[in-house]
Amino acid sequence: MKLKILPTHLRDKKRYLAFQAVSEYPLERDDVISLVLEASGDLYGACGTSKLGLWVVKVWKYNSSEKKMVKGIIRCNRNEVDAARAVIPTITRFRGKRVVFQTLGISGTIKAATTNFIKLKAADD
Amino acid sequence: MFFDFHLHGDYKLAREAEKLGYHGVALVVHSKDCKKQAETLKDLRKTIIKDGNQDDGNSFSLQLGVEIDAKNPEDLKKQVKKFRKNADILLVHGGNLKINRAATEDPRIDILSHPYRNRYDSGINHVLAVKAAENKVAVEINLKYFLLTRPNQRHRVLNQFQQIVKLHRKYQCPVIITSDASSIYGLRNPRDVMAMAPCFGMKKEETLTAMSAIPQEIMERNKIRDQVIVQGVRLIK
Repeated sequence: MKLKILPTHLRDKKRYLAFQAVSEYPLERDDVISLVLEASGDLYGACGTSKLGLWVVKVWKYNSSEKKMVKGIIRCNRNEVDAARAVIPTITRFRGKRVVFQTLGISGTIKAATTNFIKLKAADD
Repeated sequence: MFFDFHLHGDYKLAREAEKLGYHGVALVVHSKDCKKQAETLKDLRKTIIKDGNQDDGNSFSLQLGVEIDAKNPEDLKKQVKKFRKNADILLVHGGNLKINRAATEDPRIDILSHPYRNRYDSGINHVLAVKAAENKVAVEINLKYFLLTRPNQRHRVLNQFQQIVKLHRKYQCPVIITSDASSIYGLRNPRDVMAMAPCFGMKKEETLTAMSAIPQEIMERNKIRDQVIVQGVRLIK
């Protein structure tokens, strides 16, 4: 039997962090997930990470010959936005190559995060 | 307003920093490079002036800095004398206790860079903190040093930063946060840095002071440095 969904006032409140990452080695969605969670584990430990409620929602790839870039959205707990934001700049290396993560902005919905920070046009897809 | 007073690079890197939201940066060269090629400093200044003038009307400020790597306090004094007039900002490559002490005692120096380098303690104590506050030498919190340390050693770096912040609270010695980036992979969004500052034990206002007010103070002080005869006395031309 499927569990009944929590009433709205009991659900965790969320925020969405839009980010971009430039790397020397092309990144996939799984790589982003492992990088973010590893960095959070290094910074806050298991106990601290559990409170952030981190989740990589979506990742778009913008690879070109000179620059390998991804943009994406990370979900976090509303009360821990600053702590979750602090995780993002601590990511420095991926498979021995350099990588840098930068936050583009914070938003309350995925749609707003996409239109305002990532696609800068319409969030149709 | 956010400033980053420790970037190793050229004009392109400064532009990238501007895109991320910085209002001013200082491009820093090592004193050793100036010795080998005497023209380094002049060339950099020329390109800054040339490229900077291409797009007038924006408030982005570019400074030129020299990071002094001295062997001993006497050498430090010599180099400070040599570079003070040519550079906008003087940084001292800290880490050695004698150098740290000499740097905090010299009002001509703006920033003491990573006094905790290769050390287990923070490299400054209450004596140096008082001196730094008197002479207005800012103690640097170096993000590259934190980010490129191995994760299992990072607690030590955070502890060093926390010690510095503690001394800053007690003795009001200025603290400045810089990135020490030499490529785009070292640059961070200034607001991300602000979010990271609670890990160093800093409050929001203290972070703002470290990233905005202290660099502005340094710029203001350096504008009138030529006119100052002794501390507190200024000759108006």
